[in-house]
Amino acid sequence: MLTKRQNLMETIKGGNPDRFVNQYEFMNLIMEAPLGEMAGPGQTIKNGWGITFSWPADQLGGFPVHDEEHKVLKDITNWKNQVKAPAVATSDEAWAAAVAHANAVDRSEEFVTAFVAPGIFEMTHHLMSMEDALMALYEEPEDMHDLIDYLVEYELAYAKELINRIHPDCIFHHDDWGSQRSSFVSPEMFAEFFLPAYKKIYGFYKENGVELIVHHSDSYGANLIPFMIEMGIDIWQGVMTTNNVPELIEKYGKQIAFMGAIDSGVVDFPDWTPEIVAEYTEKACQECGKLYFIPNLTQGLNFSSFPGVYEETTKVIDRLSKEMF
Amino acid sequence: MSKIQEVKEKVEIGKTKLIPGLVQEALDEGNTPGEILQAMVDSMSVVGEKFSSGEIFVPEMLIAAKAMSKGVDVLRPLMAGDTATSLGTCIIGTVAGDLHDIGKNLVSMMIESAGFTIVDLGVDVPAERFVAAVKENENVTLVACSGLLTTTMPALKEAVQTIKASGLDVKVIVGGAPVTPAYAAEIGADGFAPDAGSAAVKAKELVV
Repeated sequence: MLTKRQNLMETIKGGNPDRFVNQYEFMNLIMEAPLGEMAGPGQTIKNGWGITFSWPADQLGGFPVHDEEHKVLKDITNWKNQVKAPAVATSDEAWAAAVAHANAVDRSEEFVTAFVAPGIFEMTHHLMSMEDALMALYEEPEDMHDLIDYLVEYELAYAKELINRIHPDCIFHHDDWGSQRSSFVSPEMFAEFFLPAYKKIYGFYKENGVELIVHHSDSYGANLIPFMIEMGIDIWQGVMTTNNVPELIEKYGKQIAFMGAIDSGVVDFPDWTPEIVAEYTEKACQECGKLYFIPNLTQGLNFSSFPGVYEETTKVIDRLSKEMF
Repeated sequence: MSKIQEVKEKVEIGKTKLIPGLVQEALDEGNTPGEILQAMVDSMSVVGEKFSSGEIFVPEMLIAAKAMSKGVDVLRPLMAGDTATSLGTCIIGTVAGDLHDIGKNLVSMMIESAGFTIVDLGVDVPAERFVAAVKENENVTLVACSGLLTTTMPALKEAVQTIKASGLDVKVIVGGAPVTPAYAAEIGADGFAPDAGSAAVKAKELVV
């Protein structure tokens, strides 16, 4: 039997996997790294960039607050005065828990995986609101290029420290680039603003020993795949069924693998049942096949919003591995 | 090219800085404020269609709406009290328990561009608040309810049914990622739209 790591590589390289890669099993996520403050359920926090996040207890996630009082970047043409990056944590103390966790991982079995979020696009709209960020791409492109460069420099400084400390084998990087029906920006605009940014970031990780780049965007994004390949993404996690995943596997599978195809929205809700989970998981596995595909909820971490859904999905994938391999 | 035609073209491609001057020039050429407004509404219909078909994306729609609003700023003082071009007031909000506002804001912009006056109740809006807003505002013809989560679909249903049960003479349109035409019909909504561009078309259809 292949290790989880070997089985993943066989799957994404078009080799001979002996079972489905089961959701996030190949990633040993090092969540202790000092990535910055994030709001938990019921909390309102201000992070190192000055962005206020609120997560009301009865909601499924947190949101940046963008009223006039809380918006960090009020005028893109004045971003140099309004946006100040926090310091990257460099003390042994700040990294101790992450280092201890990484050292405890059997790297022949799993990938030591660093979680990185938010992404560059998300940072632009966390700082200034989605509407302002998207309009600024048109109205003040030079300032947006400069702001994006500044965000990239910050991420590279963090990446350098991350690599020195835990030597990750895999980066699991979030940046949501679309809604369920469309990418937020046109492919042309994406190529102008975000492709160069991510070529620098993912290029840096790969030049420094990272074997695998997994990018999360639980959205439509089929029109951005050539850029995903160009920037060095190995696995697109969160791919929704609106993308027609079997067609993408056929077209791009040899260059990029797809992880998802079980839309969280249709299985992960208060009245979920094992039958519903089985229906959608079976459909995903049967339609997408054994190569270049990892069945997975589209949610961006290894759990579900409602207790039991993630575990039930894992159980169904195990059963399907026995039946289909 | 006539100035009114130029206004139309420049709104469509979101030339926000040029629009106020062009609108003024169109007025100077003898066009009425109503004609210029209609030209801009027509532009936004084209923008909405292009968005729905995937030809353009959110930034293009946003800057077109912003360009139109710059034009409306020039026309507004000249049109005070003129309701001939208005489709009435639309109350819009994201339903109780749901904090998503981006999609709702896009729909709001596009419905406004189609000729409605917008009253935006924001996010996490209880069903009764929609009803109260219909009563508090003049000439309300439409209520638009947004729900982005499978978990808030019951709140969407409650909003629609509370508005309908109030007996008020308004149409209700719904939308959001998990909403389907079948679900919209099942909960008693008058209309459904899958995106902001089609929302404007459907809104107009419902009240005209």
